[in-house]
Amino acid sequence: MLSITNKNSFLIDEDIDITQQYLKNGFYIAPAADKIALSWIKSSFLKIIKDELNIKTDSNEEQLFDLIHKKVPISELNSFRLSVMKKMNELPDFRKNYFKVAEPYLNILVGNELAMQVRVNLSIQYPNDNSSLLPLHADTWSGDSPFEVVVWIPLVNCYNTKSMFLLPPSENMKLNENFKQMAGSKMEDLYESIENKVDWVKIDYGNILIFNHSLPHGNRINEENETRWSINCRFKSVFTPYWEKPLGSFFEPITLRAASISGMNYKLPELK
Amino acid sequence: MKSLRGYIFSRKFMGDFCHQNTQNLVLRDYCERKNYKYLLSFTEYGIIDSYLMFQECIDLIPGVNGIVCYSLFMLPENQVERRNFLNTVLDKGGEIHFALEGLKISTCSELERIECIWLIRQTMENCITTIYDK
Repeated sequence: MLSITNKNSFLIDEDIDITQQYLKNGFYIAPAADKIALSWIKSSFLKIIKDELNIKTDSNEEQLFDLIHKKVPISELNSFRLSVMKKMNELPDFRKNYFKVAEPYLNILVGNELAMQVRVNLSIQYPNDNSSLLPLHADTWSGDSPFEVVVWIPLVNCYNTKSMFLLPPSENMKLNENFKQMAGSKMEDLYESIENKVDWVKIDYGNILIFNHSLPHGNRINEENETRWSINCRFKSVFTPYWEKPLGSFFEPITLRAASISGMNYKLPELK
Repeated sequence: MKSLRGYIFSRKFMGDFCHQNTQNLVLRDYCERKNYKYLLSFTEYGIIDSYLMFQECIDLIPGVNGIVCYSLFMLPENQVERRNFLNTVLDKGGEIHFALEGLKISTCSELERIECIWLIRQTMENCITTIYDK
């Protein structure tokens, strides 16, 4: 696999270190680059949740996220999640703040001329709930371009089964080599074959995870006592291949640069 | 409630093709979700570069509030022609929606946003767009 070192790249040492970590582990965890933007996101969620549940005051707002399963019945979880997400996505500053939280890392790992997913996703995973599981999968298996990264932002502290798992690149190579043997198997069989190879991501609120969604990942039943809240959004370099998630409906450019704008508008003079 | 005239294609656009009944389903669903009155679609002729029916739709503004197209990429590939159509819609106080992408143009800034997406899509024809055998 192509690697980046200070011998073959002009990136500064710090950026090479981040690049190497991402390529080796399949993910990179870092503190939110813009703490104010992250606070804005969390407090906007809080306001929407309180409106949804008609909560006027709550002495322990911090715990509202972790203990939401005590307020919303599981039968209403999906409609609640969809409603919260719809309202968040309607806030004009949401995506801009989302971007700010990850901007310098995206500039290093993806580039500085980016396309961003139009609608941000929300996951809410109750303790012991098997209705909102995301079985083992790679996003590229269902049409996402391998040129994308996912910026995954936890709104609560995530650990063990309250978090998500990811298969490291080295193990993914082995899995791909043996993939044909899995024909006719269930995804659960596939998971069991790699269960002891996956990394469970430990990440606290205040940090972000950027991961390679072409690596198999997912979640299991949350066996902790708290609910997971996380949001995720894909980013890619504007001028890289799009697969089934097209520009316009799924991605939109957010940081086009002057030379590209000039180039796209350029017309050779005509003599006739 | 605003009313939008449907506009669908009977030929390929930017390499894509979609059956007309599917296009109409998408338009109807979009208008229902966004609370617009959907007016039965005009179907563009299959003749290459024809925008005769699109012009018909534009001529109906301001009698109707605007147009709902199946996709943004049904617009003319020629930038001057495309902008002329879109500016005419705005000049007449109308709006144009793109159901598949969930986008609309009702202001000049929204027009520039759409134009940006168009230019990138056209530029992508000169960029790598496939990965080995995908």
